[in-house]
Amino acid sequence: MTETSSSVRISTGTRIYLYLSLSLVAAIVLVPLVTTALGGFKTLGDLRLNPFGLPDEWVWSNYLDILFGDRYWRQMMNSLIIACMTVFLTLVVSSMAAFCFAHMRFFGSNQLLNYFLIGLMFPAATAILPLFIRIRDLGLLDSYWGVILPQVAFGLGMSILLFRNYFRNLPEELFQAAFVDGCGYIRFFWYISLPLSRPIVATVGIVTFVSSWNSYILPLIMLNTESKYPWPLGIMVYRGEFGTDWQLVLAFITLTILPTIIVFFLAQKHIIAGLTAGAVKS
Amino acid sequence: MASVGLRHIHKSYGALQVVHDVSLSVDDGEFIALVGPSGCGKSTLLRMIAGLEDITGGEIMIGGTVVNAMTPRERNIAMVFQSYALYPHMTVGENMGFNLKLAGVSKPEIAVRVGEAARMLALEDLLERKPAQLSGGQRQRVAMGRAIVRDPAVFLFDEPLSNLDAKLRVQMRTEIKALHQKVATTSIYVTHDQIEAMTLADRIVVLNAGRIEQVGTPMQLYKTPANLFVAGFIGSPAMNLFEGTVDGEGDSPVVRLAEGAAIAISTQRKVRRGQSVKVGLRPEHLSARGNGISGRTLLVEPTGAQTHVLFEFAGQQMTAVVDGDHPARHGTEFQAGIDHNLVYVFDRESGERL
Repeated sequence: MTETSSSVRISTGTRIYLYLSLSLVAAIVLVPLVTTALGGFKTLGDLRLNPFGLPDEWVWSNYLDILFGDRYWRQMMNSLIIACMTVFLTLVVSSMAAFCFAHMRFFGSNQLLNYFLIGLMFPAATAILPLFIRIRDLGLLDSYWGVILPQVAFGLGMSILLFRNYFRNLPEELFQAAFVDGCGYIRFFWYISLPLSRPIVATVGIVTFVSSWNSYILPLIMLNTESKYPWPLGIMVYRGEFGTDWQLVLAFITLTILPTIIVFFLAQKHIIAGLTAGAVKS
Repeated sequence: MASVGLRHIHKSYGALQVVHDVSLSVDDGEFIALVGPSGCGKSTLLRMIAGLEDITGGEIMIGGTVVNAMTPRERNIAMVFQSYALYPHMTVGENMGFNLKLAGVSKPEIAVRVGEAARMLALEDLLERKPAQLSGGQRQRVAMGRAIVRDPAVFLFDEPLSNLDAKLRVQMRTEIKALHQKVATTSIYVTHDQIEAMTLADRIVVLNAGRIEQVGTPMQLYKTPANLFVAGFIGSPAMNLFEGTVDGEGDSPVVRLAEGAAIAISTQRKVRRGQSVKVGLRPEHLSARGNGISGRTLLVEPTGAQTHVLFEFAGQQMTAVVDGDHPARHGTEFQAGIDHNLVYVFDRESGERL
């Protein structure tokens, strides 16, 4: 009998179809990644003549020059500072707001929730000009906060939705037991809801981190000083300096993608658990 | 410990009224069971006492103080939930000591009190385990431990045994009774299982559609049910009920049933000739020997010590509980004797016992 996670038997035809489909999807994801990583080992000439194959000669210096240069690490720190602060603020604000929406009924609560959810429909880029003016008026241009605060604001819709759904799926009797034990809303949030919500904290944290990590437009508009640039803007700088030296750009991109992939593999269990939480009754 | 008083409690959800003018007094140290069918309002009533549900009207008093506006914590009650509601991320010890921690009790004091409760409930070896690593019975004991560790004024139980299998349920029932005898804390216990209510409670409150039908000791409810609902609800198997009309007065009153059948009733029953009534016969009050009534046997259910015999009588099915080795067989004639003093008579319109 076929061994699967469920007891459903899969026919050979279905199995071939599944493997072919999954192989195709994997190829679509992997080919650009592998091509980029390999491109970083090539010379510019090799890259132009043979963009998809293995390098004729493995040029390690492309990677080593970037790794031993000052700019890569400085920009990584900028990216880390911006992403970590964005994640921290998003988790704090959205978990608390979502808790209120999940457990409290107050005048206009539904309308307020809908107001936050409307934010899902507007990427930051669509509001870039008024955002720029507002950030300038607040005196936050060319500072990390000029990037962090808009990222938090535009991420709130999705984060609140994920947290709220998770909180609502916690058993009602836990809430009641905690109240009988002496919890108020704040203590219930801190002692019960939050510790039980690690999967969704991980999910929101990682989604927010990756979104901030890959953010290009906001830092481009808000930051002027090169020493404050995060990694995505660093690519632009490399392109400007090396003209058509695409092999260095590809090496740089590979090195910037690597931490995200490592984090994903380490935390994929939590990410998937968080995204599917509440789908079935446990 | 404290007494609990309910005065004219009402509860409505919009236009739908689910609890109607319930008044009840629970003495200090008493064990009260609220029983009734699903949707009768027993859990709602318990949750209102706990402070988990607002009341629409009336007063709830604990220890002589009106607690309507108090939070669950301020009411000094402890509650055991149907699903146990243990905190899955905390160990057994942390679960039991959580309410003390919130109350600002010192760590050494928490350890002492949790230790005492754990000893009482044989949980000492499980204090470091998480709820997921416990069996159903162990979780139930932890839930009770969490309740007793804080020494509350009142214990509230919301169908605490309904998730357990039959054998464990009997075992836990005994443990709850023993625990109450030990700590003697005022307890209010909600269940739909009348056996649980009968075996555990000092007094039982029978609820139906948000109203109290009768309050009394288990034997009072069994022997003198106030009305048809209580008579039908208390007792297992359920009381046999037949519609009929009173005929004959004075020394020999009888009730005429369908198909020419008749049952003699006690002269003590306050009936009048021609009155439309319902006659109630408890299955265990039908004796296997005698020629009171008879009918074709429809079903025989041996349960070991006793056998339940279903037979035809007056166009209906009647159940009799007889000795386990009674030779009743499907299709044969079954004869049963009736003691007319044990025949209940209810007014058909009002449902009141006569």
